Amino acid sequence: MPKLTVDGKEVEVPGGTNLIEAARKAGVEVPHYCYHPGLSIAGQCRLCMVDLEKAPRPTIACNTTATEGMVVLTETDRVRETRKSIMEFHLINHPLDCPVCDQAGECWLQIYYMKHGLYDPRMTDEKVHKPKAVPLGPHVMLDAERCILCSRCVRFCDEITATGELGIFERGDHSEIGLFPGRALDNPYSGNVVDICPVGALTDRDFRFQVRVWYLDSAKSVCPGCARGCNIDVHVNRRRPHHAEGRRVARLKPRFNEAVNRWWLCDAGRYGFTFVDDQDRLLVPTRREGETVSDATWDDAIVALAATFRRSPPDEIGIIASPKMANEDLFALRRLLDNLALRRVAFRVPPRVAGDQDNFLIRADKNPNSLGAELVGLGGDSRAVLEAARARRLRCLVIFGHDLLASEWPEAEVREALGAVETVIFVGSNAHATSAAAHWVLPAAAWVERDGTYTNFEGRVQRFRPAVEPLGQALAEWEIVGRLLAALGVDSTATRPEHWFRQLVAAVPAFAGLSYQALGDGGRLLPGAVRA
Amino acid sequence: MSGAGSISNRPPAAQAGLTDPATTNAATTNPATPTFSAEQLAEVRRLQALYPDARGALLPVLYIAQDTFGWISLEVEEYVAGLFGLSPAHVHEVVTFYTLYFRDRPGRHVISVCHNLSCHLAGAPSIIAHLKRRLGVEVGETTEDGRVTLLSVECLCACEAAPMMQVDDRYEMNLTSAKIDRLLDGLA
Repeated sequence: MPKLTVDGKEVEVPGGTNLIEAARKAGVEVPHYCYHPGLSIAGQCRLCMVDLEKAPRPTIACNTTATEGMVVLTETDRVRETRKSIMEFHLINHPLDCPVCDQAGECWLQIYYMKHGLYDPRMTDEKVHKPKAVPLGPHVMLDAERCILCSRCVRFCDEITATGELGIFERGDHSEIGLFPGRALDNPYSGNVVDICPVGALTDRDFRFQVRVWYLDSAKSVCPGCARGCNIDVHVNRRRPHHAEGRRVARLKPRFNEAVNRWWLCDAGRYGFTFVDDQDRLLVPTRREGETVSDATWDDAIVALAATFRRSPPDEIGIIASPKMANEDLFALRRLLDNLALRRVAFRVPPRVAGDQDNFLIRADKNPNSLGAELVGLGGDSRAVLEAARARRLRCLVIFGHDLLASEWPEAEVREALGAVETVIFVGSNAHATSAAAHWVLPAAAWVERDGTYTNFEGRVQRFRPAVEPLGQALAEWEIVGRLLAALGVDSTATRPEHWFRQLVAAVPAFAGLSYQALGDGGRLLPGAVRA
Repeated sequence: MSGAGSISNRPPAAQAGLTDPATTNAATTNPATPTFSAEQLAEVRRLQALYPDARGALLPVLYIAQDTFGWISLEVEEYVAGLFGLSPAHVHEVVTFYTLYFRDRPGRHVISVCHNLSCHLAGAPSIIAHLKRRLGVEVGETTEDGRVTLLSVECLCACEAAPMMQVDDRYEMNLTSAKIDRLLDGLA
């Protein structure tokens, strides 16, 4: 563990640490473009120059290993001058089209020019022009003029996805990032190149021109797209709603978690949030009688449901919970089951098309909380519940979220089952064929509209936080179940998801010792979990 | 195989030991599915073994490909990429970085006139002007009959004989208009 000083601050770092990371540990930010902790060292941008005591000239921090007794100086006159010159080089051919550039506001050319540049430009020649607004693939747009050739995107495709789509072609000031002619940047992780692009060269085709980044608010969350539970930030547009025609979730960005997804996020997860602001969101409780659908109040709905539950023998009530529900929802449901002694409960519904999986982030199980549902004790495969319904042994069936008619089960059998139940209750965020077949439809909040936790496939319990208000009258499932419990006379003091989490921790040994505080931002492994 | 790497902007010509007679015709057609002969593949493997990282042999192998197929088409880049287990984008990076690989079909002969300092002072501009007039092409173009491609290039290390140019793999030095006319007449 070499000890060194950075700008007078002593710091001890693991052997092999480079000077950018060593300085960071000492609380000093060394400006850089091409360096990225998740990629190999390129040493290309030259911006991270620092002075080393006894060295004849500044050296790049990214490619210099910290050694015992090293004295690093990041703010000498010589370093400042060097940075300024390098900024001038980087910007020689830059089109300065910030007013129409989607990166503006989160662009490291802007940030570093203000911090380390501030020179009077001396460039009088015509700038070199390059292709603009070139779609590289389904998600990424290239502006070659804005590119500073840091090669982060090239290294990402070489080292992380090993797909090698991108390269730097031609040379000198005609060098530009591009694809092999005829190919596309269409690997399952392509959106990450937008995150790591420090400038406006690679922008997100979905997000671009939706809203200026300085109008975005952010909440720490977890991707619900599969059992991995990648850590994300949800960026929402609440301050300029008229800019995006009602679209509140502007984009998802990966949030670093060494134990889960590091800096990355797959495209399926990144762009999988459209359901949140979709036209098919369920906004108010509704009741269907024959072909007539009418709005209802929550109070009416809860009273009616409680009545149905009361008059049905426990054996004639079926519950199909969802592995997309949070641990808190599932435990609230568990409380309901225990109180009413319900036994026809399950949560797994096989998808019609088996999920894809790779050896990086993507998991075949497209649910964020299958392990949580299992540990809370909500049974397994829902086939038996469906069969009970078909056999006319159920008077009431509650379905959370699932579109059973789009599952692997034959559609005719599902229709027969739904038709054989006196009261079908659907609780979910979006309308689909199954919700249309229900007698009661209760709108549930989407994951970005509420607080909760998921348990990923490895047994890591992770928190997600609300980024926007629930649409319409939607409520989180724990609250819907809580209201039903109250209507059934079960004493429940849980008014926040954290209360349910505490009850869960007290009741289910697998979660012993956990608390929201202990989960923090990075989550915690269940005490008994062994990392895969 | 005397240094494939030292060959510069050679025209498509059979080079001893490298061009499979069966593909000689392909030399000017640059087939959609380029393939090296067994002999050439052995040479590729020999070259790859010379470097700690096999991709070090990429430049010489690209020269072999250029000699065989006449120029480096995208199909050739993909074929060569396959020989190295590289992504085609990375072969494309190399081919576009260097000027001595033809990305388009060149003429049967390639004339590269030096336009660097010594040759410039010794009259390269008038040499280039004369060639353009005689061939009826601009620099970078090929005559309509596919006979000659005219290029102007940086220093070829023969300043003592400026102005000079390279015709295929021969140096022609101390150029005059008359000498150029004689040379052009000798090119088939």
